[in-house]
Amino acid sequence: MTGIKAHKDPKLAPPPDVAEGPEWEHTLALLDPHVAETLLSAARTLYPHDGLPERVYRRVILHFDRMAAHAPAAAQSFAEFVDRVDTAMPLPFRDLSESYRVSVLKGLEESAAFRLVQRSTVRFLYDDVEVWQAFGYEGASVHLGGYVARGFNDLDWLPDPPAGV
Amino acid sequence: MTHYEFDDAGVVVIIGSGAGGGTLAHELTRRGVEVVLLEAGKHLTSEDFVNDEWGGYEMLSWLDKRTASGDWRVGRDHPVTPSWSCQVVGGTTTHWSGCCYRLIEDEMRARSVYGDIPGASLIDWPIALAELAPYYDLAEARMGVTRTNGLPGLPANNNFKVMYAGATALGLNASTGRQAINSIPYDGRPATIQDGFTVTGDKVGSRWSTLNVEIPRALATGKLELRPQSRAVFIEHDAAGRACGVVYVDAAGTRQRQKARAVVLAGNCVESSRLLLHSASGMFPQGLANSHGNVGRYYLRHIIQTVWSVFDKPVNMHRGEIMTGMIDDFVRHDPARGFAGGYYVELNSMGLPTTAAFLDPGWWGRDFAGVIEQYAHMAGMLLSGEDMPQAGNRITLNDELDAFGVSVANIHYDEHPNDLKMRSHGYKTMSAIHQAAGAKRSVEAPAYPASHNLGSNRMSARAEDGVLDGHGRSHEVPNLFIADGSAFATGGACNPTLTIVALAIRQAEFMAGRMAAGDL
Ligand SMILES: Cc1cc2nc3c(=O)[nH]c(=O)nc-3n(C[C@H](O)[C@H](O)[C@H](O)COP(=O)(O)OP(=O)(O)OC[C@H]3O[C@@H](n4cnc5c(N)ncnc54)[C@H](O)[C@@H]3O)c2cc1C
Repeated sequence: MTGIKAHKDPKLAPPPDVAEGPEWEHTLALLDPHVAETLLSAARTLYPHDGLPERVYRRVILHFDRMAAHAPAAAQSFAEFVDRVDTAMPLPFRDLSESYRVSVLKGLEESAAFRLVQRSTVRFLYDDVEVWQAFGYEGASVHLGGYVARGFNDLDWLPDPPAGV
Repeated sequence: MTHYEFDDAGVVVIIGSGAGGGTLAHELTRRGVEVVLLEAGKHLTSEDFVNDEWGGYEMLSWLDKRTASGDWRVGRDHPVTPSWSCQVVGGTTTHWSGCCYRLIEDEMRARSVYGDIPGASLIDWPIALAELAPYYDLAEARMGVTRTNGLPGLPANNNFKVMYAGATALGLNASTGRQAINSIPYDGRPATIQDGFTVTGDKVGSRWSTLNVEIPRALATGKLELRPQSRAVFIEHDAAGRACGVVYVDAAGTRQRQKARAVVLAGNCVESSRLLLHSASGMFPQGLANSHGNVGRYYLRHIIQTVWSVFDKPVNMHRGEIMTGMIDDFVRHDPARGFAGGYYVELNSMGLPTTAAFLDPGWWGRDFAGVIEQYAHMAGMLLSGEDMPQAGNRITLNDELDAFGVSVANIHYDEHPNDLKMRSHGYKTMSAIHQAAGAKRSVEAPAYPASHNLGSNRMSARAEDGVLDGHGRSHEVPNLFIADGSAFATGGACNPTLTIVALAIRQAEFMAGRMAAGDL
């Protein structure tokens, strides 16, 4: 989208591969497929970027799965969240159209479970190098010599400030 | 490294190796004073650091639980991490972004100049700016602050071009400001490569920190023993009411007791107040040095807030040093503005991960998505302004204990009407600057967890108004000192670290002088 290249720090693990088909659910350690798909639908409803592929949202759910495996309290909050969004309307959350999904989520905003899902989606979605690339955040730079010769002052649609200002 | 015995009562024990503690350790040891420096965090090197916002945050931050109360928005947005600092050798100087401004005369005489503001408990500093000025000079030279000592300013980056265009259109005075970040090689440290990652440790080392400047030099004197992963949990005193030792938990989880000739707290405000309150005894039932009940009170965190704006064309604010811009038109106290005190407008950038997290925690839906998708076209600014000291804004102890048996701290903060007036004025100023540069949309983002933690053990001319005298020494316990921002009598508007460092240099001179005279 932006013509830039995003870099994760080479010392950190690259994002995990996720399958394109439904078999991606087999890589989940703890979350069952319905819980995982419902959380994924919630993540997409909370942060709807139509241009982003499904796999970036799946990676968010893989992080949720890791959180749940680490902390029983998180697992319980995810289960409670899914329970509440599924019982809010006569259809399961995943089957609702977007405006109904939005109104279900609005009704839950004050709950701790909502907060966990919403904050954790922000935490992991916007930390995904594929999302960085899509939105123009180039990320790690020291291993490339910083930005001193790579555009730290290349903005050209405003006049340059006088030297030494 | 030099080693001191646990029962060596000749050493000064400093708790915390950040801006205050790390500087003090160097300043004392170079004068020949023997120092044990206790630091809760690990001793990392630039090899360990990463260019990654969350990776760096998780590596460096103080993540132990705290609680929050009061009407501040931080309490809702960040209920268990209301304050933001680091737990690592070098403290938050491994993380800070290097802005270095001085307090001005009016700010150090806040009570006299601003008057008696209802609900606020303003005092004048017990020291005058003229007394501090020589130590500011020393601090700026030590830290290599740009635009001092002949060092050039940092160059304009993309985000600054936006700030500058808007500011000049409005007749405001913008410059790239002063930072403890090398624009040219200085003091053995290289010039910045504009990597944009000073806040995750600074792998390059162009920015001053106690990790890369003060602590290595203190170690080189042969007078310092640095004990990383050593968590102070209690300060002990003798029958005469003098501090005599510090109990701490070492890396192996073993409780140790280091005797001391003097004890200095430099744990970054919240931790220093917490440790004093926790160190209660028969002689000091309300906590050490707290007979007047002032420990923990008058907590300040500055008026901090950001504005993020979206432009038609790319900005790429993530490229380059993150805070190299400053507007000083609103620093002076001007009653015509309708509030007391002043503020700086400073450049600010964040990467996509933290921009998304701090833009407006809790905001979701298509509107948010439409803004954050334009990250590459966003510019940012931060406001740092003076908040009002209030007796009820304070650090207290919860019943809940942490893993070391110390009560978890609660931070209570209610906004003063003056704070709200300044916030509103500042948002209007910052949005107007971006609009004047062509912004399509500006977002008024709330404060993030408190990064300027000040005032909760304040210095005061009269013992009943504070905790410390003008040298950061307890009014009650003559060999107990504080070397962090909790000692500030009032907050002023500017980022606090230069002042913390200047005060620590002055304090070291005082302590060494008293020791030489045989009364410390
Ligand atoms: C995001 C961010 C950006 C910033 N940018 C700027 C800036 O541009 N300009 C500026 O002036 N300031 C800035 N600051 C603020 C600056 O970092 C602090 O003012 C400064 O580091 C405070 O110094 P200190 O010595 O009080 O505490 P710190 O530097 O935080 O050091 C305290 C140390 O004490 C240790 N400690 C605490 N309790 C114990 C204990 N019980 N036992 C042992 N060790 C303990 C901690 O682990 C820590 O290492 C920034 C802060 C943040 C979070």
